[in-house]
Amino acid sequence: MKIVLPGDKISDTPVRMENAIVENGKTYATVIGMMDESRGAFIPLESVWYPREGDFIVGIIENSKNNVYTVSMDSPFRGLILPPPRPRFGGRGGRDERFGRHEERREIMHMGDIVSAFVKEVKREADQIILILDRPRRLTGGKLIEVRPSKVPRIIGKESTMLRQLETGTKCTILVGLNGIVWLNGEDVPLAQKAIAKIQEEAHVGGLTERISELLENKGR
Amino acid sequence: MIAENEEYILGLLGKGMREHERGQMQYRDIKIEIGKIPHAEGSAMVDIGNTKVLVGVKLDVGDPLPDKPNEGALITGAELLPLANAEYETGPPSPEAIEFARVVDRGIRAAEVVDLGALFIEEGKVWSTFVDIYVLNYDGNLFDAGTLASSAALLSARMPKYEDGNVIREGSLGKLKTKGMVTSCTFAKVGRNILLDPNANEERIMAGRLTIANDENVIRAMQKGLSGSFSYAELSNLIDTTFDNSKRLRSMLDSAVGE
Amino acid sequence: MIMGGSGEKPQLIINGKRTDGRVPDELRPIKLEVGTLKNAEGSAYLEWGNNKVLAAVYGPKEAQPKHIADPNRAIIKCRYQMAPFSSLEEHSRSGPNRRAIEISKVTKEVFENVILLDNFPGSEIDIFIEVLQSDGGTRAAGITAAAAAVASSGIPMKDIPYAVSAGKAGDLILLDLNKIEDNYSDADMPVAIAPRNNEVLLLQMDGSMSKEQFDSALQMIKKAGETITKIQRDALEARYR
Repeated sequence: MKIVLPGDKISDTPVRMENAIVENGKTYATVIGMMDESRGAFIPLESVWYPREGDFIVGIIENSKNNVYTVSMDSPFRGLILPPPRPRFGGRGGRDERFGRHEERREIMHMGDIVSAFVKEVKREADQIILILDRPRRLTGGKLIEVRPSKVPRIIGKESTMLRQLETGTKCTILVGLNGIVWLNGEDVPLAQKAIAKIQEEAHVGGLTERISELLENKGR
Repeated sequence: MIAENEEYILGLLGKGMREHERGQMQYRDIKIEIGKIPHAEGSAMVDIGNTKVLVGVKLDVGDPLPDKPNEGALITGAELLPLANAEYETGPPSPEAIEFARVVDRGIRAAEVVDLGALFIEEGKVWSTFVDIYVLNYDGNLFDAGTLASSAALLSARMPKYEDGNVIREGSLGKLKTKGMVTSCTFAKVGRNILLDPNANEERIMAGRLTIANDENVIRAMQKGLSGSFSYAELSNLIDTTFDNSKRLRSMLDSAVGE
Repeated sequence: MIMGGSGEKPQLIINGKRTDGRVPDELRPIKLEVGTLKNAEGSAYLEWGNNKVLAAVYGPKEAQPKHIADPNRAIIKCRYQMAPFSSLEEHSRSGPNRRAIEISKVTKEVFENVILLDNFPGSEIDIFIEVLQSDGGTRAAGITAAAAAVASSGIPMKDIPYAVSAGKAGDLILLDLNKIEDNYSDADMPVAIAPRNNEVLLLQMDGSMSKEQFDSALQMIKKAGETITKIQRDALEARYR
């Protein structure tokens, strides 16, 4: 694996991909990353988050106005949780047999509340990109930490193996937002924090899984 | 930067824990390095955990203060640089930066770290000592880092010469004449707990802050900040804790400046 | 601004060597470290001769205040500042002066060229350059450090620019002027270049130069660029070894 820097050529042909640009028919990296020449894959070592439909995020309720919640996600994108659609039948807060009473379908949230959600739509508004969020869930207690969005795949691991290992080893619930905010709650939060810091520092060094299980077994000592 | 969850920090404290696995009256790792900026007459970089502070000392010929015609001047400034923290902004010094500089100034002034009497040159001419505190990375407890770095920079500073109207800053120079040494200990009140050396997360939720600067068994400066209060008993204990901790801080200073 | 207070012009070249012993096309020693500051998205510490420079980048984040936001792309805010204790001469007042404001502007324009601003409409990216010690050529050092800081942050950029100055003593072209040379040279020309396509992103000059002298100064700068680019590359790669 070769380290690639912004401006380095990664292909002699035009390849449309994230973290790269095409110029004069050739493809150049725009962030620092690793080139896996055998697979022709470019893996960013650092990157910012580009939201996509279906992305899981963790954020903080920043504002609530006219039944719309604004969610801050430590990114240039602003998240919105819109009021649930009015039921077609049953009007006036009545009961819709299929959906239940619509007022009940959304938790009341306050400024500063921690929330997880999914990106339903990436919308380009007049002055910035807005993310319409879906399936919000208020998270109580716990702790938020910031991680580098490019390290999120390593924190989760292949088929969530790393994440499960972290959760078991620290007896914590860990929600990893693709926006780079992670919510930790449970028994040994400081240990979980330490392990995640280690994953971030050493994400590019082989044998990470073993070192993390060692750290967890020794309770960080 | 995301705001810290108060519940979490309080929950940890309830279990007798603290972030980065330390005790309530325990400092993070401290590093003192002098001479980082050879162009300055004195300089020191201090790290307390992830907090990083650089102090540069310059001496210039200037006018004495009207009420102290035979003494040099000491001018202390602090900058909370925007590169140190996402929340710091560019612009004129904030009240926080001014308080910070003044608290450090009071400690070094009261402990007579600089022998201001030795800075007299001639009628109407004295040396002005500029102490500039540069905050490079913020993770709480700027006061102790600033005081340590200022002490280290002053204790290791060169003394320029004034000859025939010229300031000579290079060549064989003596040292700035100093008398005392000062260190400080800063405490945060978080819930019912008192924490030595608060980090940024703890400072964000602290109700009160107390800084005690001392020179062996003499208190040289104190500052209580924010709206929270401290009881008599707490103050008395914290003075003892400060005297205890200052022994180690002083010996770190001694070895950093090579005395 | 005169060393030792004497007004006489020192000899910049003695026996083919410069005041600090360099030959005309020789760079000062450069040391670069990436990731120095923990809070920033990207950061770098650069020692270039006696210059010591810190650079940090924050963002992209929502542009503040709202009215400065550009609906089509990110805006860059850049601040270059010299520490009051940075010079071997007297203490300087802190806060931006006209020189610092101009350098901040031309530095910002360098990064407006290389950062992919279109990816982040309505947002801002902040670049801070603090000169802790100065000895001539601090804007070039600042740009070189800031480029490494941005490259380490994951903010997308199409190339990693470098900067260096060239100048002139008599008819001799000198690379990378130090403070004394800067004060007494017959020309000074800081240049920033995006090396992949050799695009000139910053060009300033004062003094006097013929077209031929300009050409040879630029050639010298481009050759030095290979060394500087290599230093940037090594520092960035070192984080992942």
